Order: sequence, then C-alpha cells, then structure tokens
Amino acid sequence: MRPIVEFAGVTRVYGSRVALDDVHLELLPGELTFLVGPSGAGKTTLLKLINREIRPTSGQLWVAGMPAHQLKSSRVAELRRRVGVVFQDYKLLPRLTAAENVAFGLQAGDLKVSDEEARDRSVDALEAVGLGDRGDAFPHQLSGGQQQRVAVARAVVGQPQLLIADEPTGNLDQETAWEMMALFQDIAAWGTAVLVATHNVDIVTRLQRRVLTLVHGRLVRDQPAGRTGRMAWLASS
Amino acid sequence: MAGVVVKGRFPRRRLIQVVATNLVRHLFGGAARSWARNFGSTAPALGSMTLLLLMAGLVGLTGFALHNLEQVETGQASLLHVYLRDDAKPTDVAALWRHLLNDVRVAGVTYVNKDQALERAQRIPGLPQLADATESNPFPASLDVQVKKIDDVAAIDALVRYDVAVDPVYPTSYDEGAYQRIQAVLFGTAVAGFALLSLLGFVAVTVTMNSIKAAIHARRDEITIMQLVGAPRWMVRGPFVVEGAITGAVAGIVAGLVTFGLTFTGITAAAGAFVRFAPGVTVTVAAAAAALVLLVGLALGSGSSLISLRRHMET
Repeated sequence: MRPIVEFAGVTRVYGSRVALDDVHLELLPGELTFLVGPSGAGKTTLLKLINREIRPTSGQLWVAGMPAHQLKSSRVAELRRRVGVVFQDYKLLPRLTAAENVAFGLQAGDLKVSDEEARDRSVDALEAVGLGDRGDAFPHQLSGGQQQRVAVARAVVGQPQLLIADEPTGNLDQETAWEMMALFQDIAAWGTAVLVATHNVDIVTRLQRRVLTLVHGRLVRDQPAGRTGRMAWLASS
Repeated sequence: MAGVVVKGRFPRRRLIQVVATNLVRHLFGGAARSWARNFGSTAPALGSMTLLLLMAGLVGLTGFALHNLEQVETGQASLLHVYLRDDAKPTDVAALWRHLLNDVRVAGVTYVNKDQALERAQRIPGLPQLADATESNPFPASLDVQVKKIDDVAAIDALVRYDVAVDPVYPTSYDEGAYQRIQAVLFGTAVAGFALLSLLGFVAVTVTMNSIKAAIHARRDEITIMQLVGAPRWMVRGPFVVEGAITGAVAGIVAGLVTFGLTFTGITAAAGAFVRFAPGVTVTVAAAAAALVLLVGLALGSGSSLISLRRHMET
C-alpha cells in the first residue's frame, strides 16, 4: 500500500533551534496514528510541514503524492485540498451556521461546487459526525464538543486523503474527547489516514493505535498498533 | 455513535454557471460586504484618494491647457513681425521680402498692410480704444516672417533690424527672453504640480494600504480557514484587491464628476476666457479627464491593496 505521508530525513530548523531532527516515517491510508510528546517536541511543526505551512530545512516530504519539500507556492492549495485539518480551538466562523461553516470549507476550496451540492454535502458531513439536526445552529449555540464535530465535518467534507488534528480534545471533557476519538476511528475506517497530535495519555493508551513519540524534535519511538507501550516522553516532559 | 463521511461523487451541473456565480459572489459580493462593513476604516482612504484624484484631474487639465498655451506661444514667438516705415519705398520692401524668402531659416513671409494691421489690432483686447483714439491709423504695415526654428528668430531680427525699409524706432516684434520666461514658468508649474501630486499620492496609497491592513485583520479567521482548506491564493487575496478597487472607483467617480462639473461650469460660464487661457480644454476633454481619473482611481486602489497584501498577509 502506498503511503499517504512519507518523511525521509526531514529536518526543520528555526534559527539556531532544531524543531525536527532527521525524521523518517510513513502514514498509510486508513491508519489512525497518534503523535505524542512533551510541549516543544515538534508535534505542531510536523503537522505544519504536512500541511505545507512551512517547508523542511532539509530532507524529503511527500504528502498525498505531492513533494511538499519542493512544492511551489502556486500548488500549495492543491496539496491542502488533499489534507483536512482540525484545530484545538475549532476555528469556526461565528457569523455562519454549522452547515454554512462546512459548506464554506467546501466552496472556498473548489469553485465548481454549487450551493445545492455544498448544502447536500454539508448536511451529509454533519450527519456523519452526529450533528445532522444542528446544521442551522450558530457556533455559540453549540457545545465545545459539537463545535469540534463541526470542525471535523468541515475538514472531511472535501474527502481528503489525510486528516490531521492538533490537540483536538484539548478543550473537551473526557467523555466528549472519547466521542471525538470514536469519530476519528470511523473516518480512518473509511480509508482516510488520520494523524492526531495529543497530550491525552488515557486515550492513547487505551485505544492501542499506532503511536509516534517525538522528543526534542527526534522521533524516538514508533509503536505499532495493538501494543501497549510506556509513554516514553512522559519521563522527559 | 457517529456515522461516516459520505464518499459519493456529486454531479457537476451547470459548471460554468456555478463557477461564475461562486466567483462573482466570492470576489465581488464578499468584497462589497467587507467594504461596507469596514467603512469606518475605509473612509480616510476614500477621502484622501478622492482629494488626490480631484487634484490630479484639475492639475492634469491645467497641464493640458498650459501645454496648448505653450504651443500657441511658441507659434507666436516664432512669428516675427517686421514693421515697415510708413515712407518705405515699394522696391525696398520687395527687396527685403525676397531676401527673407530666400533665407533657408524662413518658412514663409506675409505682407500685412496698414489697414490689415488696424483690423488685427482691433481684435486684441485694449487696442480698439487706442485705434479709435486717433483719427489716423497708428499701426504700421509689416512683413510677418514665420521662422522655422524659434532659436533662429534672433538672427532673423538682427538681419532685418537695420534694413532701409524697416521702421528704425520699432523695427520688429522680437522680445529677447520672452520665450525663455514662458518656458521657465511652465517648468516651475509642472514641477510644483508633480511634487504636490506625488505627496498626495503617497498619502493616498499609504492610507489605502492601512485600510486594507485593517480589513485583513478583521477577516483573519476567514483567511486562515480559506488557506487551510486549500483556497487558491488568488481567491484568498482577490476580495481584498476588489475592495481596494471599490475604494478607488468610488473616489474616482466622485473626483471625476467634480472635475467634469467644474470644467463644464467654467466652459459654459466664461467661454471666451477659457478659449484664451485654457486653449483646447473642451467638454470632450473634460469628460476624457473624468474617465481617466476613474481609471487611475481603480488602478491606485487595487495597486495599494496588492502592496498591502504582500506586506501583511501570510502565505
């Protein structure tokens, strides 16, 4: 199976600080992977590299078949349409309803999507995340967990090959966090590679999915799914 | 338990219509809404740009009039009137005429008799009273010499000044330095106008850039989301360029209308003075100037936006 993401000796340096150091890894379609590590370990840098918000200082990075390490600015949008992104703070537009937020994500990325199609696909995506009846609600009328679900719906409505999430449960209670993880498992089950950066040890430990551990910019552990490993980074955090 | 994301493909109906609708709504609709919403921060830009364009229109029309005036003055300055003695012999006048015609620096020579000179003087403001004050005709006959190059007028003057047929008291119309004085005044006016417009242009562009910066700041969440969902760069930046163009267009329309209105009023209220002091400035020219002001407004507004986007929007 061809990997969706492939890091080959990727290093990213900010000034004199090495944020990511010679990282090699592959993410496969349908795989739910956790990215863990202490604060400042390079998790966000790794996600930003995948979404081509930044370029590697050295090494090669392939995302959905595109060379992110040497991608021209004019082709960045094309790459991003293949990657869905979920943030800790949801990043929903407050003046749009849930359905409009999802449709906005769809139509901003593709002018060929009609209003009718955007509406249909938004409703479908909201139903998929369990919010089919809250499409007309504005973000302030939704709970944190519901807002995060809308953000997930917006991220996947364009049917990306890869979904990356940066601390998606950071603002949620434990019960809602588990619901979010169930949602990510569903999305992965449909063939989308899902990479979740998180500090939530309980979820990582109990789900027994693949776990990548970053410490000081180095990938110190790549634990396959089905294993229960010690959270090595906890000792160094 | 949540459901799953639908992976089905939806039919692409009425593709061109859909793309056009989305494009217009996103680029122009979004820009117009944002412009109206941020009017408070746009107003200073609108004001300064309107002032700039109005000044540009008026200075442009003045420059056009001065250019035409210069052409007229240049034409007049290269026309040398050689005044003849009242008692000059026809043979001497004919000899002088032939001598001038044979000179390669001369384009043509016309004889003007005293009656024609009087008639011409009566068309010049102030001179009819002088002509009427005396019973006899005080204006001398002349040979009007059209010199090819204005620089040769002095040489032709020196050539004819002491001819026997020429009036020894007031031999020619040559006024050394008159043309240079006109040139100096025109150059000074052009420099002052350019400096004023440059200053106003700098202010207008700076204020417009700041208003676009404010618009970017107000819509930063929307921009972030658009960038992250893979909106093309032109689609993210386009509405801001259109927003700047709207500011420029509104300023251009106001300035263009005022420029046209003032010029039209001037032409209709004082047509004679306009023809003399602003030759060539007609209603058509005023309309063209107004249209040009509008185009400059559009270019300035969208250009300022582009500069602001380069500086303030993250890629």
